[in-house]
Amino acid sequence: MTAEDKDARKARRAARRAERKARGTGKFVALTILVFILAAGVGVASKLLAKPDWAKRYSVEWSDAIGTKQTDLPYGDGPANKFDLYLPADASRDHYGLVVYLHPGGFTSGDKSGDAEMLQWLCSKGYVAAGINYTLFSEENPEANVLTQSEEIRDAMPHVVEAARAAGYDVDQMAVAGGSAGGCLALIYGYRDAATSPVPVRMVFEAVGPSSFYPEDWTCYGFDKPENIEAACGLFSTMCGATLTPDMLGTPAWDEATKPASALLWVTDQTVPTVMAYGKYDTMQPYLASVRLDAALTEHGVPHEYFVAEHSGHGLQNDGDVNRAYMEKVEEYLDRYLPVGE
Amino acid sequence: MRFLTKRRVVILVVAAVVGFVVGRLALRAVGNLLLGGTLLGGDFL
Repeated sequence: MTAEDKDARKARRAARRAERKARGTGKFVALTILVFILAAGVGVASKLLAKPDWAKRYSVEWSDAIGTKQTDLPYGDGPANKFDLYLPADASRDHYGLVVYLHPGGFTSGDKSGDAEMLQWLCSKGYVAAGINYTLFSEENPEANVLTQSEEIRDAMPHVVEAARAAGYDVDQMAVAGGSAGGCLALIYGYRDAATSPVPVRMVFEAVGPSSFYPEDWTCYGFDKPENIEAACGLFSTMCGATLTPDMLGTPAWDEATKPASALLWVTDQTVPTVMAYGKYDTMQPYLASVRLDAALTEHGVPHEYFVAEHSGHGLQNDGDVNRAYMEKVEEYLDRYLPVGE
Repeated sequence: MRFLTKRRVVILVVAAVVGFVVGRLALRAVGNLLLGGTLLGGDFL
């Protein structure tokens, strides 16, 4: 390459740089990146904040015109043994249906206040609604488990009914509901404790609540693999408040030990109507257990609706249509099995 | 020389649309990581 060629190349480069500068290429690239980042932020915000139109139906502006709320009514000696009562504004009816909604939180966290929106909506429909706290498993409460929590819920019910009656609302029937851990406890109360309930239990609705403890169903924790059976026994023993060992698997002893905390094992021809929803890719509780529960309800001829969110996990978060169908069916079941009286 | 040519406006619009989609997908991916789920299918993104 001659010196003249080099000079010519330099000149061309300089000319291109000058042209880019004149056209503002660098600024445009920066602007494009900024637009991309801002649009991504809008995308995130739109997904986080925008509530679908159908969901707005299940949210009410709470006021005295809808009802009043009594907070932290006690039902036991434990600090968590408290419930909130939502009383409809119309206190003129002879009888009321009670809907108890139990909070989620993996049996280790959560609070009844987290379900205020659901409880307010139920109250706006004319029900006495109640959210019940239960003792959560923690370092301070290592003895708490699904069984003890279900027993607390069972023991709370007479107090809830009594409090409603004391406030002038004669509760004569009820539904029990919940999400995740609350769904599990709702199923247990509806299936195991309905016979001893202070008022007849008419139905259960719940989402993503675990209903049985068979390791092969708990693929989300790898408990379907033989090498993890010991771990499964450990977790299930803690959850059920029982001693489970690998040699019990597949024997009646396993069912006997897990039954007090397994809604599935209480399903009979008399089981109350149920609406339930589950996510096919749930990583927190076993989707396959819900398949088992659906089969048991079908086998026993129990009126029920089983919704599967085909693209979602524990939050049913990717299937708005399924969420909508679930809530519409909940309303339909409430109208049918727990009608608001005159 | 104009800064915003027709071609650049098109590029900006494409960047905005892609950014919006990527933002929603990213949040869905995070949700799926925590709760389980698929990246596509079901709701729009």
